[in-house]
Amino acid sequence: MIILGSNSEIAQAFVEECLSKGEKYPVIYLLSSHPETTEKFARHIDVKYLQQSEIIELDLMKEIDYSKFENISSDLLFCASGFLGLGTEDALYDNANTEKIIDINYAKLVPILNYFAKKMESKRSGTMIVLSSVAGERGRQSNFIYGSAKAGLTAYLSGLRNYLFDKKIHILTVKPGFMETKMTEGLPLNPALTATPKQAASAIYKAFKKQKNVTYVLPIWAIIMLVIRNIPEFIFKKLKL
Amino acid sequence: MKPDFVQKITNWGNFPIVEKEMKSEDAVSKIREFVKTHNEVIARGNGRCYGDASLGKHIFSTKRLNKFISFDRLNGIIECESGVLLSDVLEIAVPQGYFLYVTPGTKFVSVGGAIASDVHGKNHHAEGCFSEYVLEFDLMDENGNILKCSREENSGKFWATIGGMGLTGIILSAKFKLKNIETAYIKQESIKAENLDEIFRLFEESENWTYTVAWIDCLQKGKNIGRSILLRGEHALKAELPQNLLKNPLRLKKKFSPTVPFYFPNFVLNSWSIKIFNWIYFNKQTRKEAHQFVDYETFFYPLDFVNDWNKIYGKKGFIQYQMMIPKKNGKEGMKRILETIARSGNGSFLAVLKLYGKENPHAYNSFPFEGYSLALDFKVNNKLKNLIEKLDDIVEEYNGKIYLTKDSMSRSSLTNYLKNVDSSKFVSLQRKRIINNG
Repeated sequence: MIILGSNSEIAQAFVEECLSKGEKYPVIYLLSSHPETTEKFARHIDVKYLQQSEIIELDLMKEIDYSKFENISSDLLFCASGFLGLGTEDALYDNANTEKIIDINYAKLVPILNYFAKKMESKRSGTMIVLSSVAGERGRQSNFIYGSAKAGLTAYLSGLRNYLFDKKIHILTVKPGFMETKMTEGLPLNPALTATPKQAASAIYKAFKKQKNVTYVLPIWAIIMLVIRNIPEFIFKKLKL
Repeated sequence: MKPDFVQKITNWGNFPIVEKEMKSEDAVSKIREFVKTHNEVIARGNGRCYGDASLGKHIFSTKRLNKFISFDRLNGIIECESGVLLSDVLEIAVPQGYFLYVTPGTKFVSVGGAIASDVHGKNHHAEGCFSEYVLEFDLMDENGNILKCSREENSGKFWATIGGMGLTGIILSAKFKLKNIETAYIKQESIKAENLDEIFRLFEESENWTYTVAWIDCLQKGKNIGRSILLRGEHALKAELPQNLLKNPLRLKKKFSPTVPFYFPNFVLNSWSIKIFNWIYFNKQTRKEAHQFVDYETFFYPLDFVNDWNKIYGKKGFIQYQMMIPKKNGKEGMKRILETIARSGNGSFLAVLKLYGKENPHAYNSFPFEGYSLALDFKVNNKLKNLIEKLDDIVEEYNGKIYLTKDSMSRSSLTNYLKNVDSSKFVSLQRKRIINNG
């Protein structure tokens, strides 16, 4: 298994979900922008599940040395790389913030996903699970830079799924709604719409086993997004979402 | 949306409910920053204490300190962060032939909470409190320094922290010993007792059993007062197990566990429904004595079987009242307590009666000492305060005390027994209440 964004709580919960379901992997490759932080998790899965892992630095904001990934191969990849950044109110015209959001969620992420897709394509087997976001379904005034980057990612994944279908590679797009993670801690989120990393991991694992194409972590989000997508633009533009 | 971290927080009893700042971090640098930049900080684990113990002005939740650090499978020594739950420990320990030396009645408490409450269980008379098996822990003090605490190193802090209710700092991680087991099953005997004399006699006769506890029907009056069922148990050896359990003696089958979906309306629990429940519980065992093999979850954690069972007490919540009185005069005091409860009609589901063994003189902040303890649940209503006053009177008369992990309204003379814990940095609502009322 290859994990991108290994310090993400959802990524870690997903790894634990797989291991507690009895799955075994020769090595889990933990790609991480802060490798020293990932060490705690690597030790944890070693102690709890006797699972070997290897931490490899991957900082999307730096030049990527692909030679580090040459010997890595696996038929399961989980990507939780992402960056929420600051929203419209605080930083719409802050270019550094805008670029970082676009880079981590889309521009710099797509080449690395392509790199691993190519590896799977040559072996003609594998699954890529990638976290996108409900924010990518329609641009809303509060965080449309993040939303548009995730929209790009969702479109990319849809195309990649289509392209790799004949090659027996499966792509699962995950669109979590509100998550109870460090990224959202302290925000007044409605508990009925908010999933814990553990709940998310279990829903994603089920979707993966059922070979689903797109999954919302909580089913209620499929309904919410159906409504949001279908609001006519002349009304939508007046809303404060 | 800017995070403000203020939220409604309550512990297992859903009473009291407060709006306070709560934050959780997993990096030491961030925890240190939280401690240094706030006054009045208190650590909170899984929120399974009942009252206001782990609530405070600024709460640090250990829920993200949830990683294992090491497990010496040869010697049964485990090291983990303080937010790891005992249920997580059991998940990896039991299949390897290990069990917790001491476990409370729920496995959903954090390791940090187990130390801060110095929890005890059905084997207190034989094996003492949780702290007996703690080798060391890391504690963050008011300056953000991390102290390694053990019987040898920083032993002053070690003993003040044990049972110290989080008032000495934030426990970050701990190392403790596990006990060897051959199977995940308990050889259990359950014996019905008709009254208080009989159950006290049974406790004394069962002193050589590792685990003993009694479920007592506290709504009984007159000659039936003290009607109860004594459970006693030993870890089953492989050689004793019946054939059908022998195949996988250290692994339990996954059981379905129901969840209480919403807070029950207030009228559901009343003295009649509780009487009926208690009657069924007492009469479902028809014989005087039953012997059987049960899995460890059934024996130690019967209530964990139902998720969110606290919701059956309704939105107003409930308190647990756990008191103890010395062994001498124990029966007399317990009789008066039970009479008072039965008269009030404000009874709880089966209450838990237990005979404790000798206290550990080093662990001066721990709750148990040699004597009888009774724990019961009361729904919060306007008559409750009055009942607690009456019960506190009796406990005080018999030189008893109240378990802080459960307490939310008892008087200071029964709760103000912690030593070497007062700092201006680590303060809980409970501590303030106790000090201010004293």
